[in-house]
Amino acid sequence: MNKFAKYQDQAVPAGLMSRRGFLIGAAGTGFTLAFAGAGLVLADPATAVAQHAFEPTIWYHIDQDGIVTVNIIRAEMGQHVGTALARIVADELEVKWESVRLDYVDTDPKWGLMVTGGSWSVWQSFPYLSQAGAAGRIALIEEGAKLLRVGKDACVARDGMITAGHKSISYGDIVRKGNLTRSYSADQLKAMPLKKPADRRLIGVPTKAIDIPGKTNGTARYGLDAEVAGMVYARPKLPPTRNGCSVTSIDDSAAKGVKGYIKSVALDDPSGTVPGWVVVYADSFTAANHAADKVKVVWATGEAAKVSEKDILDHGAKLIDDPKGGSLVVADEGVEQAFAAAKTTLERSYTTSTVLHFQLEPVNALAFEKDGIWEIHTGNQWQSLILPTLAKALGVGEDKVVLRTYLLGGGFGRRLNGDYSVPAALASKAIGKPVKLVFTRPDDVHFDSPRSASVQRLRMAFGEGGKVLGMEHHATAGWPTQVMIPVFMPKGKNGEPYDPFSISGADHWYTVGAHRVRAISNDLANNTFRPGWLRSVGPGWTNWALESFMDEAAHAAGIDPVAFRLGLLDAQGKNAGTAPNATGGAARMAHVLKRAAEKAGWGGTLPQDTGIGVATTFGQERDMPTWCACVARVKVDRATGVVKLEKLTLVVDAGTLVHPDGALAQTEGAALWGVSMALHEGTEFVNGQVKDSNLNTYTPLRMRDVPELDIEFVQSTEVPVGLGEPGTTVVGPAIGNAIFAAVGARLRHIPIRPADVLLALKGEPAKGV
Amino acid sequence: MLKRIVITVVVLALVGIGGLFALAWRPSLAPIDPPAASAFPQDLVARGKQLAGAGYCATCHTAKGGQVYAGGFGLESGFGTIYSTNITPDPDTGIGRWSEAAFARAMHDGVARDGAHLFPAFPYTHFAKVSDDDVKALYAYFMTRQPVKAVAPPNTLPFPLSIRALQVGWKLLFFDKGVYQAQAGKSEEWNRGAYLAEGLGHCSACHTPRNGLGGERKDALYAGAPIEGWLAPALNASNPAPLPWTQDDLYAYLRSGASVHHGVAAGSMSEVIQGLAKLPDADVRAIAVYFADRNGSAAQAANADQALARAMALAQRDPGVVPEHGAQVYLSACASCHYNGGAAPLPARPELALSSTVNGPDPGSFIHIVLGGIGQNDGMPGAYMPGFGKSLSDEDIAALAAYLRGSRTMQPPWNDVPAAIAGARKQSPAAP
Amino acid sequence: MTTFNLNGRPLTIDAADDTPLLWVIRDLAGMKGTKFGCGIGMCGACTVHLNGRAVRSCITPLAAVADASIITIEGLDPQGQHPLQKAWIETQTPQCGYCQSGQIMQAATLIKDYPNPTDADIDAVMNGNLCRCMAYVRIRKAIKLAAAEMQGAAAHE
Ligand code: FES
Ligand code: FES
Repeated sequence: MNKFAKYQDQAVPAGLMSRRGFLIGAAGTGFTLAFAGAGLVLADPATAVAQHAFEPTIWYHIDQDGIVTVNIIRAEMGQHVGTALARIVADELEVKWESVRLDYVDTDPKWGLMVTGGSWSVWQSFPYLSQAGAAGRIALIEEGAKLLRVGKDACVARDGMITAGHKSISYGDIVRKGNLTRSYSADQLKAMPLKKPADRRLIGVPTKAIDIPGKTNGTARYGLDAEVAGMVYARPKLPPTRNGCSVTSIDDSAAKGVKGYIKSVALDDPSGTVPGWVVVYADSFTAANHAADKVKVVWATGEAAKVSEKDILDHGAKLIDDPKGGSLVVADEGVEQAFAAAKTTLERSYTTSTVLHFQLEPVNALAFEKDGIWEIHTGNQWQSLILPTLAKALGVGEDKVVLRTYLLGGGFGRRLNGDYSVPAALASKAIGKPVKLVFTRPDDVHFDSPRSASVQRLRMAFGEGGKVLGMEHHATAGWPTQVMIPVFMPKGKNGEPYDPFSISGADHWYTVGAHRVRAISNDLANNTFRPGWLRSVGPGWTNWALESFMDEAAHAAGIDPVAFRLGLLDAQGKNAGTAPNATGGAARMAHVLKRAAEKAGWGGTLPQDTGIGVATTFGQERDMPTWCACVARVKVDRATGVVKLEKLTLVVDAGTLVHPDGALAQTEGAALWGVSMALHEGTEFVNGQVKDSNLNTYTPLRMRDVPELDIEFVQSTEVPVGLGEPGTTVVGPAIGNAIFAAVGARLRHIPIRPADVLLALKGEPAKGV
Repeated sequence: MLKRIVITVVVLALVGIGGLFALAWRPSLAPIDPPAASAFPQDLVARGKQLAGAGYCATCHTAKGGQVYAGGFGLESGFGTIYSTNITPDPDTGIGRWSEAAFARAMHDGVARDGAHLFPAFPYTHFAKVSDDDVKALYAYFMTRQPVKAVAPPNTLPFPLSIRALQVGWKLLFFDKGVYQAQAGKSEEWNRGAYLAEGLGHCSACHTPRNGLGGERKDALYAGAPIEGWLAPALNASNPAPLPWTQDDLYAYLRSGASVHHGVAAGSMSEVIQGLAKLPDADVRAIAVYFADRNGSAAQAANADQALARAMALAQRDPGVVPEHGAQVYLSACASCHYNGGAAPLPARPELALSSTVNGPDPGSFIHIVLGGIGQNDGMPGAYMPGFGKSLSDEDIAALAAYLRGSRTMQPPWNDVPAAIAGARKQSPAAP
Repeated sequence: MTTFNLNGRPLTIDAADDTPLLWVIRDLAGMKGTKFGCGIGMCGACTVHLNGRAVRSCITPLAAVADASIITIEGLDPQGQHPLQKAWIETQTPQCGYCQSGQIMQAATLIKDYPNPTDADIDAVMNGNLCRCMAYVRIRKAIKLAAAEMQGAAAHE
């Protein structure tokens, strides 16, 4: 079973997902079509719908004009997820796209688990949404046939109409005149006839995303735009480190001169999310901002205040040195024997720097209590994770807290962690008024849950003719899942729990003989800051190490890097793949790799100091692989160490593409994120806090450094899988390998800085930090 | 402009010989009853208004946030503050009881109605050149302003610098009396320009370096001078701008506040532009003719195309991938407004490779502009640059300065940029 | 008290002189299309037009805009049908969309200055506008599309 399904079981009653039926019942002037527990399906559907008794999730509603409104429980953060999800329903339902509306819902237990991340949304929803659409279509056909007085087999559903010969009736009229009330048992639902891929009219067909026009004319509403009458503003004063600080004293005498200043309060947080926080209230954001600069807070600090990036990396290296620590994620028999029998072995270490989310909208939240319910207005990716924390912080039941939904000015995993809503709620509670808590950019950065720095050591055992006999991959970093939701950590083969997000990618699809993967939590990182999930999480570092290492291994074995990989992508044994998500297994990886190499002219001649490098990735998880290969072409300036990335060629097999242009946009953005983290951005801890706080020194990729992109998707009708991450993780090693191809300099740390390239050209190791 | 000049008043002590007291004596001129506004002909008042603009009188004689011409503006001398006086016709606190003769004596001799010597913060060394007719017009203009009751705060000069009589020694050394005399062999236009620039305009007060005693150095006339941390650039041939300051460029700059080939007026020069706005085009053209002749730009005109091409090539040089810190700052904070593609800059995109400021010998003006920006009423009217004083750290600005100086100009690096930034921050801690 | 013109309407604001124009527009004038990203003039999310030129409103104090004409994304075109806006939809440029008001406002100055912008022009002028979703490929495409449309329209006039 895949990891996500495991998580889902924890959020909804066990087994419900597989045992639920479907209800259609009158609601308002239309009909609601909803999933429901098996028990409810047997009861009167009309009453069940009228009483909103369905669970866990309503899917959509049809009104008398034939307008279909699809509820979206996912966060809209740039992936146009609402468009993709609604098109799955609309295609099966046979409704015109123009008749479809989206409703991004607020938190409510009835929606079940609310999380948007890991590129799961389309993949996870596709089967259910298809069934829901098909059930609606069948009901409309049956009712339409009755109203047209024809047999239902004579009826065809298309574009919101049921047609039989020359007779037809619109969905709107069926809603008005017919009685769609029905219920389907779980078994009936499973047997629902889904359309064949060839008959699809919306899925895979170019369209325009519904959320886009509002993002071109200023009408799109983000968390920052939320307002309520009578609210005051607040700006936080952050303690020097994320953990272990407490307020010693507050002196606001200088702030009292700021017009509009109200007061400063040290927050009391039973949830422990924001220890040592002070909020500064005023009647405008500007006043709060000015006043906060003038309020002097003295904190007692803990151990974290001394920690540097180098400390974290050194600690990581020490953790790896101890063979007993950590969790064994892959533990094949015979690893020791393979290395003992090896003709040659190769061992290399790789590191990555701390990376900031730097989503463009700084985190913020508006919080207030109304009629005994706490309302939190903010953009969020994982409502179900933060609700219990909010309830604990406020000292109320979870049913007394609701999160209202807004667009996200960038997610990238930052808003999976809803911690920023906690101080807003506490600030509102402390002053007894609605509070809009706005973080400045430095506040946002210093409160970020950055992607942890990482240390990895990889080994390979070669036999005769460069044959790979065994492989080891040891990886350590701060573990977001351990810090934020340890219950989500599965146990490794040695019984030790591990953060799956922090090691995925190391459990790759290459056949390497006896394979061992060990994940180690870097406790110094976890104690110093709050490690975060950042776009693809673990593969951001595991794939950097893995694919750089594969390149080094190929060269060590004297085999061309593409040929070397293809030799290992034999789709045998555990790499053969299983239906439905990983049908074809490593063979599909081999296909995208070959195609990318061919497109990029692999093996051709290149100008002086120019090189191409290759890498692959399967996205975030082995259970939901997105097959992706990338070839990067770089030109290296030997005098300055500057790397110019000229072109990226990506070939992606993501199964069925529901919204092809959205898929392309996601891949473009993901690939450029990869470029940014490989060549442009990265920070370091100094005294327990990240060194950079704004764009004067933090330098994500901008327009002028965008390389030429050539992206191709494999035409496929396989299960649709995620696209938010793969591009992110494949680019870095492709660039590193291209640098090696260009000038023979091997880089083992990202971001790659010109100074490190110069050192590598001299054969010296990069300084890292 | 004098209000910004650090006057080295200390010199006065050196020449403070007792004998000078005798020389120093001037009579008090009799107070008059304030004349009615109607006593002055309209056209005379109108001309006076223009001239007051050309002399930027309001700049020094208006306190921050105060009424126009009511004085009280503090000039930092380095030894203490000298406050400008009220020149509205208020009988008790202004010049309401000054006769025209008293007014003319102040302009031409630097002596107040009561016989006291004025400090040269009031640029009478230049105003002496103003014709009697123009003084008359200025008198008419000021006497017809709305009287404002306002007393300037007392000066904070310490003894003995505060002894006005000592000024006479300074006058002996540095003051050439006499109204402007037309130069033979020069056109009427040239002479008109010279009259305005040397007289009311008192251009050299800022643009000429001063000697240790605070007098303008005749041997370095218009060689450029630092002024309150800014740089008043050279107006002679030593100006390091890549393109010559031609007559047309000077005219465009003085008339509109910007020259596409040199940059935008900022700091106190924007007040000069605002003052000059009151003058007719012909007068502004005359000033341009005068300075274009002085700086010899005609001789350099032949090389201008080449110089422009070279500057644009510098401007468009690729700073590379993962560029140095200063280039990063420039590319993210500055280029969206300052970039110019093609062979010539656009007027709305001040080209830093051509900028007199970036090419100038010290970084003062550059730093001030980065910190404080340029208001929409400064320099080029309507154009605006925000200040980055709260956005960029000292390190960011130093890196930016080094990058632009190194990449956009053929000039040597600036010295002591960090100290200049620290100094400028102290002067004007924040925008606007 | 500062009076200026916002999207064609005179507006008088009673706020401290150093209040950034961004927060005046958002919180006092109630126009939320202009966004806050960095607060130091280096991301471009807050870009508006001041007297017809793109400026960063987060570092523009209220006092500096007295009597000026300010245009925000809401006022770029009365129907939201500026050629840039249409091109942005046509190319499906926005991802999260948060940077896009600023991108469009900056692009409007770009094509005013360079009606037929080269890649170098786009690189330099748009580099100050960070798009964290990295929608750069499409921003470039949309600018070129809008420029072509505007040139076509101009040729027909
Ligand atoms: S918020 Fe103004 S430039 Fe970033
Ligand atoms: S679209 Fe998200 S920041 Fe640009």
